[in-house]
Amino acid sequence: MRALRTTLLLLICSLMLISCADVRAWERGYLAREEMAWDPDALESSLNDHIFFSKEASSGGNSAAGGGCGCN
Amino acid sequence: MKNSASRSIIALSSTALALPGIALADAPPTQSTISYKLSNYQEDDLARAEAPFGELERYDIDVHQFQLVSPLGRNMSVHVDANYESLSGASPWFTSLGLDGEPNVNLSGPSGISDRRTELSVGSRYYLENGSFAANIGYSEENDYRATYFGLNGEKHYNNDLTTVSAGLSYSSDEIFPTDAALFNRSIDEDKQSTSVFVSVSQIINQVSSFQSAFSFTEQSGFLSDPYKLRDIRPDDKTQLAWSNSYRKFFVAANAALHVNYRYYHDDFGISSHTSDLSWHQNLGRTFQLVPQLRYYSQSAADFFTNVDDFLNPTSEYQSSDYRLSAFGAVSGGFSVIADMGSWKATLTAERYLANDKYSAFDVSQPSTALVKYNRVSLGIDFQF
Repeated sequence: MRALRTTLLLLICSLMLISCADVRAWERGYLAREEMAWDPDALESSLNDHIFFSKEASSGGNSAAGGGCGCN
Repeated sequence: MKNSASRSIIALSSTALALPGIALADAPPTQSTISYKLSNYQEDDLARAEAPFGELERYDIDVHQFQLVSPLGRNMSVHVDANYESLSGASPWFTSLGLDGEPNVNLSGPSGISDRRTELSVGSRYYLENGSFAANIGYSEENDYRATYFGLNGEKHYNNDLTTVSAGLSYSSDEIFPTDAALFNRSIDEDKQSTSVFVSVSQIINQVSSFQSAFSFTEQSGFLSDPYKLRDIRPDDKTQLAWSNSYRKFFVAANAALHVNYRYYHDDFGISSHTSDLSWHQNLGRTFQLVPQLRYYSQSAADFFTNVDDFLNPTSEYQSSDYRLSAFGAVSGGFSVIADMGSWKATLTAERYLANDKYSAFDVSQPSTALVKYNRVSLGIDFQF
């Protein structure tokens, strides 16, 4: 529970530190570029997640877990 | 002139909305994309000093990945993913103390392991005016393992689409039926369940940068030990927490994008970890892109990790010599070359990964043998139609 509290506190603090501009839809050309996506290559991300899941103890993050495998 | 300007704004806005960008109002894909990626993953052999007896050759895996993403009607998209892996090699079986007082590892079997994994998942996303929701189901099968899973997630945009909140859950039911169970006195048929939830917030900071923070919680229960190790007894419950942060910035003058990611992880096996990675997506004209990337990972050891198996320990006590539960650090670097020729795109990637207890950011009271080093090479093709 202590780790959870610390994590939530850090999350709130980091969001508060960000000052955001009002960016209109037509001003989002750079943000919409493929190389600016959170995951520009879905198969590459999926492969990396699978390898790290089978060789390291950590998993999870910005999505829910998929199915397990005998690799871990 | 005014009409022309309006048309330009509309065209630019439409383009921005249609492209796979971030924190923008959702729109289904306008074209279908079929993707294929072939990868070879090769672990370095162990040194004879680390494994005095038996096999030295570790995993060699070929991976085939297929994906089809297609629009369905005006407000939906569907995706089909299929993966096929074939692997051979050997993995750590047990550890012992060598004559020099250092821990040694003994790899499985004289003939090693040979296995195949096939996975199929299908999903669909429904797009609303200011959000979307999606569902997927999947099935994965190996010679000794079966997993059936599903996931649900949704996202909603706020604040003139500057802020996106996403949330989702997934569930997986897995069955383990080790090969040669009777011969090696292994468990015959075990199962485990995993439930995972996540929530994330994405925020556009300005015209060229954005930030995402996400929190995930996973609960596993059932058989969490490794049935192929001579002595591996772990708790039958595990709670995992992960906090991920991502930052993207486009450098207009350089025509390149910077990706920065960091994740903190903790579980009740006693493992904490830090993961950070950086990549630079450099455009060269309209066709080519070069992407160098660097990753650093470090974890602490599980409470019950031992680098030398103790076979006199009562079986009521948790114990594992799995190197993945030890304290270590890992550095990896890779490079991708992408050629985008309109409806065709080709991506070539090479990566080197080195794990070592000396790279650890955490205390290493029991350094593990058999930490992994590997090379990975991938070739991907995407076709839009």
